[in-house]
Amino acid sequence: MTDTAIAASALGKRFGRRGGWALRDCTVRLPAGRVCAVVGPNGAGKSTLLALAAGLLGATEGELTVLGTTPAEARTRIGYVAQDKPLYPQLTVAETLRMGADLNPGRWDAAAAERIVSAGDLNPGSRVRALSGGQRTRVALALALGKRPELLLLDEPMADLDPLARHELMGVLMVQAAQHGTTIAMSSHVVAELEDSCDHLLLIGGGRVRLAGEIDDLLAAHTRVAADADADLAPHTVVESRTTGRQLSALIRPAGPLPADWRTATPSLEELVLGHLRNPGAPALTPDSASASAPDSASASTEETVA
Amino acid sequence: MTALPAPLPSAGPPHLTRWLLRLHRPALYAWTALVLLTAVLLILLQGPFADAAAEGWRQYNSCGFNARCVYDQSAILRYKDWYNYATLATAAVPFLAGAWAGGALLGKELESGTARLSWTQSSTPVRWLAVRLATPAAVVTAGTAPLAWLHHLAWAAGRGRIHSAKEWYDVGTFHTGGPVLVGLSLAGLAAGALAGLLVRRTLPALGLGVLLTGAIWGTVLVLLPHLWPTLGRSGRGYLAAPSGSWTVSQGGTAAHYHVTYHPYAHYWPLQLTATAVLLALTALLTLACFLVLRRLTGRAAAR
Repeated sequence: MTDTAIAASALGKRFGRRGGWALRDCTVRLPAGRVCAVVGPNGAGKSTLLALAAGLLGATEGELTVLGTTPAEARTRIGYVAQDKPLYPQLTVAETLRMGADLNPGRWDAAAAERIVSAGDLNPGSRVRALSGGQRTRVALALALGKRPELLLLDEPMADLDPLARHELMGVLMVQAAQHGTTIAMSSHVVAELEDSCDHLLLIGGGRVRLAGEIDDLLAAHTRVAADADADLAPHTVVESRTTGRQLSALIRPAGPLPADWRTATPSLEELVLGHLRNPGAPALTPDSASASAPDSASASTEETVA
Repeated sequence: MTALPAPLPSAGPPHLTRWLLRLHRPALYAWTALVLLTAVLLILLQGPFADAAAEGWRQYNSCGFNARCVYDQSAILRYKDWYNYATLATAAVPFLAGAWAGGALLGKELESGTARLSWTQSSTPVRWLAVRLATPAAVVTAGTAPLAWLHHLAWAAGRGRIHSAKEWYDVGTFHTGGPVLVGLSLAGLAAGALAGLLVRRTLPALGLGVLLTGAIWGTVLVLLPHLWPTLGRSGRGYLAAPSGSWTVSQGGTAAHYHVTYHPYAHYWPLQLTATAVLLALTALLTLACFLVLRRLTGRAAAR
């Protein structure tokens, strides 16, 4: 067993020889057993990263290790649900689950898959083509979880669910993660939907990693400050700053103690994400970059992540 | 740490073929119906229809130059018409195979994303494609082989007895009455599959599958006379090939005229070489399918 679910170094994917880069220079490490939110605007490269990890695409450059081996070798231990929840429309719900059993011999947990489906009040005899978006998501999740994956990759899993179903299915995922130690990586462009359930964050913008790490560590590394307009923010790393009248408000990564007359607050996850997305020039904060730029403060947090 | 539950006892290879057949059950039923109906028609042609038409021609020939002649014209036309329909149905098989493989078998799966669903189960994309090529190939061979044989019998039943029957080198008759039909259908299937993998959308892939199948057939038509050495005659006067043989070329002047042809004895050599060419082409197309799949899923992932 390995304690790393996904390790990527300088990973890049370009579609076509002259196409643009969907993902570039992506170096991340997702520890096993975490629930990781992969966040970023549409077209940021989230889906590409998940498809690479699922062994559906070949990387153009860089290295990618999943569950201690190549994505293709780890295929039987990975569950993947694509954004549009593809299922065979002509099969019934029950047939879809039977297919899952037949295509994953030796791994299939029929009881778990049926539990997820029956919780949704789904008739096993209904054809998949007759299901609503939320019901399809439920069947797709049942198919992915029935495989008893060690790593579950979910691309925008909750996008077409009503709040009730979203809450309920998120609960199913959290139980799975807690009971079986399943590592879950799920992408979303809605931060709020992930804040309560995820403990790890990967923020991708413009095909590059902007933020990576435990959410608590990331929040602790940032501070919202309000100060006089002429205050000098150096030597702290400024993610975003705005001056309104005589007031300066900023999101910073403190490099040391802050002056006593600055009012400080812990940012919310959403503020953190939006601050970084609005300011593409802000330096990235990942465990690797932290150890390079600020050795004294980062070595502690890096070790924390590894342990 | 991730606790891996004990494996279930029912471990074995994934049942990909069973689910492929389940997914395409309507197509399988339609194919079975087409084969059965055409087979029944060909058996009728070979037996009662051919006999009645031959009897009609016997009556017609015995009339000599009598002004009044009574013969069963409808029996002659019935054999001729239904023979054409059966030939058309049989000749459509390679195109149907190409259209189905491009559209329903691969184009639709790649367009709707169910291909990715399959690739994230416990078997590789290569196995996924291998099953999707081998199973239909077996089904198509099992259907086209008896059809070609029955078609040949239906044609042979009229040979020499029914004067309106097609010659052996008639395009429809030659390409539906022997192993060439099996070769064409398999090549159509592989071409359609390649179209599906390249285009990855249902309708365009369906169209390209038909187009490629047509191109393959056209190429075979052009190549066919050259696949076996022709016989030739040359000399003074306008020579003709012996009756019942397929004239490939003729020309020259009255003083020096030449004609090349395939006698009926070349029927099987031509059938077998054309089939070999088609099977080699099918192998190349299949190889191309796997190369395209590898480009789609990445070198390592496709394994």
